[in-house]
Amino acid sequence: MIPLARELQDIVGAGWVKSGSSDLLAYTSDGLPGYRRDPLLAVFPGSRDEAIAVVQLLAKRNVSFVPRGAGTGLSGGALADGSVLIGMQRLRRIIELDAENRTARVEPGVVNVHLTRAATPHGLHYAPDPSSQSACTIGGNVAENAGGPHCLKYGVTTNHVLALTVVLPDGVVVQLGSATQETEGYDLLGTFVGSEGCFGLVLDVTVRLTPNPEAVRTMLADFTTIDAAARATSDIVASGIVPAALEMMDAPTIQAVESSIYAAGYPVDAAAVLLIELDGSAAGIEADAERVVALCRSAGARRVEVAADETQRQRLWQGRKKAFGAMGRVSSHLVVQDAVIPRTQLPAVLREIAAVAAEERLTVCNVFHAGDGNLHPNIPYNANDPDESARVHRAMGRIMQACVAAGGSVTGEHGIGLDKLDYMPLIFSDESLAAMCRVREVFDPGRRANPGKVIPVRACREWALAPAAR
Amino acid sequence: MSHSATHTTARTTALPGSPLEQAASGLDMCVHCGFCLQACPTYLALDDENDSPRGRLVLMRGLLEGELNPADPDVGTHIDRCLGCRGCESACPSGVPYGQLLEATRATLAQHRPIPLIARVILAVFRNPALLALALGAARLLRATGLTRLLARLPGRPGFPFAMVESTRPLHTPTRYANDVSPSGTTFTLLTGCVMEGLFAHTNRATERVLEANGFGRQDTANQGCCGALHAHAGDLASARALARRNIAAFERSSADLIVTNSSGCGAMLREYPHLLADEPAWTERASRVAARVRDVSELLAARGPRPGAAIPWRVTYDAPCHLQHAQRIVAQPRAVLSAIPQLDLVPLADSDQCCGSAGIFNLVEPDVSERVLETKLRNIQATRATLVATGNPGCLMQIGAGLIQAKSSARAIHPVELLDASYAAQAQHRADP
Ligand SMILES: Cc1cc2nc3c(=O)[nH]c(=O)nc-3n(C[C@H](O)[C@H](O)[C@H](O)COP(=O)(O)OP(=O)(O)OC[C@H]3O[C@@H](n4cnc5c(N)ncnc54)[C@H](O)[C@@H]3O)c2cc1C
Ligand code: SF4
Ligand code: SF4
Repeated sequence: MIPLARELQDIVGAGWVKSGSSDLLAYTSDGLPGYRRDPLLAVFPGSRDEAIAVVQLLAKRNVSFVPRGAGTGLSGGALADGSVLIGMQRLRRIIELDAENRTARVEPGVVNVHLTRAATPHGLHYAPDPSSQSACTIGGNVAENAGGPHCLKYGVTTNHVLALTVVLPDGVVVQLGSATQETEGYDLLGTFVGSEGCFGLVLDVTVRLTPNPEAVRTMLADFTTIDAAARATSDIVASGIVPAALEMMDAPTIQAVESSIYAAGYPVDAAAVLLIELDGSAAGIEADAERVVALCRSAGARRVEVAADETQRQRLWQGRKKAFGAMGRVSSHLVVQDAVIPRTQLPAVLREIAAVAAEERLTVCNVFHAGDGNLHPNIPYNANDPDESARVHRAMGRIMQACVAAGGSVTGEHGIGLDKLDYMPLIFSDESLAAMCRVREVFDPGRRANPGKVIPVRACREWALAPAAR
Repeated sequence: MSHSATHTTARTTALPGSPLEQAASGLDMCVHCGFCLQACPTYLALDDENDSPRGRLVLMRGLLEGELNPADPDVGTHIDRCLGCRGCESACPSGVPYGQLLEATRATLAQHRPIPLIARVILAVFRNPALLALALGAARLLRATGLTRLLARLPGRPGFPFAMVESTRPLHTPTRYANDVSPSGTTFTLLTGCVMEGLFAHTNRATERVLEANGFGRQDTANQGCCGALHAHAGDLASARALARRNIAAFERSSADLIVTNSSGCGAMLREYPHLLADEPAWTERASRVAARVRDVSELLAARGPRPGAAIPWRVTYDAPCHLQHAQRIVAQPRAVLSAIPQLDLVPLADSDQCCGSAGIFNLVEPDVSERVLETKLRNIQATRATLVATGNPGCLMQIGAGLIQAKSSARAIHPVELLDASYAAQAQHRADP
């Protein structure tokens, strides 16, 4: 055992440092299929003090580290290439839930849906609801600035985080933001949210809780062409109605969901469905629902079904939220993509994606947050077929280029991590990337927190010259 | 861009001809989404991804690809610690056949290292009808003399097995009631099982009475025996297959329409006989025909809409046995059975779909993990303030029952069918002396 492992054991106890290759194997991958990186060690602090002591020791020994939550990230952010992995899953206490002020302070390993579960008896919920909410952690959500279907109306993670306690890579503990939302000074909180583990380790998170809406209407609209579904999306948003969520799934996605245990009763012969949710006061909702139904119909919907009760609503949502997982049954491997385009470009870009898929002889499963133009084209394929792999690689590049050409961006919510490094120069100039490097230097001058992620090394000239910190 | 996988689909395997290699295509279905993590009792108890479904699948792949050594105890530990509860399957959108992969992995590991001694002893007893009868007879004797009540007081692990036996003491004196319903034409035969008939004979009789009271005609099947589930779960596939063949032959001789089980672990096993015997073409077809006749008692009763009995105004909660909920996907039916009892106060149990830690012989082989999983279950039960916990599997009845006894709780575990039986008996009583 290397000496560092022994020192870490002195902090967290013998069972909570993994060093053997068989013990580490489960920690060599995260939610992004197809990537593997071997950490030097993995350490699992059992308290906030242990976490601080771990980071301080690593600072003293000049060793780089990577935070890990539930490992559901889809950009390889929690992969540790020769660094120490700090697993935060043991820190999963809800420290305080203040129903009156509608806030909660939680440890970073709390699972997203557990927070909502704890808030439910008070008529509250935690609004950012990534599809992975039954697994992912609040710490991971903060690091990725996670979004979710209901972020269309309620905003993403950054809009719901009030304060963070963070241990910086040099071991100093700081408080960012405040529960009372004072906004003096620089907005360091906003800078930290979405920093993908590169600015330090989150120790606790104070979030805003949202009152449950008085009334909810959930609708499933069924279309025979993707174009019509895209048109309906634009029409609904243009009408001034702000749906709580507006999600699209295409035929291959529907079929994967319907053959899984999360079968939701989606029409398997549809070219696309829209899952639309309205919420708000009981007074206005019926009128808005009728308008949405009419807009779908006039865009060409075959059928619009309104969920009869909470059970059916949950069923419709479960199908959507488990869609990515359900694609595992289509083929042995899967690539996941995440891009944002201006909503008006939806029909054109979706046509382009279909054309690319046809030319490359691939199946693209589209399941995405249509309301805010956040696309997720996913391609199931067989990685053992070199020809198919090459076509997938080409198709993904072409799709990303089409999104950027349409005025879009290369990530909506999954982050850059390792996976999207190559796309950063597509959207940012050298100067912008260099500015980001300088911000990172402020938090992590030693460049030891999640090295090699987010910004391509060559973008930071002086980083490219210096050997990576270990 | 995520290009081709480093975790390649392993067809160039390090374990040629192994059961794991045969099951390998199931590994490919895992997309690493992590949705199974929070469904896994051992992950929640141990906080290590190596003890999670996703982590164990990674280990299986490592074994298959030769990166891990099947004799490596660090790998075996995590596979041993799996409850086999299949809670992960109920959470998995991709449909990874985890239970099959686990059995295949255990069978593969068994070729490279011995099955733990205590497990071997237990499995040998269950394989041998005479030894099994002796062991169950001894347990009954201890129970009858009241010694188990005494020995169950030994704190902690030494007392636990005695508490398990003590928990099988019938809660109500079985009474026969006149059966005023004429058989509907559908006939059933009961899988009497080994532990069920040995320690839960009262539950078996209650099952027969309740089904007859709902119009099903009974036929008995001789020469049936242990279903082999314990052996299959532990990786002893040869013994499991031998037991399966014996049961298939026995039930083929029965002309009953349906084979009824009241032990969800056995029911799941019977339904999986075709998979277990997939390599024996002469038997696969026969196994499928037998499997197609298998029903859990709750399925049969719920489908009929069980006739109501007399009121039992008790507070009861329901805990779902894993092999009913996750393996057989029978979720609503047991609750439907209970709601046939007027005035029964059926209160929900938090995380009722999570394993209690019994998992066949797991509680005897991996007592530490089992205990931690049970603790959570007992805490949730206590929060319901129910006096009875209904659950339809002998392992769960004994695990929860023993846990309650050792925790000095006044609550008891009971099979749902026995509650319905008690309700029918009370009704007959009322009619007899109004
Ligand atoms: C099926 C599926 C659906 C998904 N749907 C969505 C969706 O709808 N919207 C969405 O936004 N994302 C989605 N994701 C992506 C993923 O779930 C989110 O990015 C989530 O926020 C990751 O959380 P995690 O706990 O798994 O973090 P991990 O994957 O473990 O880590 C992610 C990043 O966070 C950092 N990190 C983790 N904990 C800490 C900490 N305590 N301090 C500092 N840094 C930390 C890590 O270093 C890493 O860079 C989905 C993923 C899957 C598999
Ligand atoms: S839920 Fe299924 S696909 Fe997802 S990680 Fe678990 S086993 Fe794999
Ligand atoms: S079978 Fe149960 S214990 Fe084993 S991995 Fe699945 S959920 Fe966990």
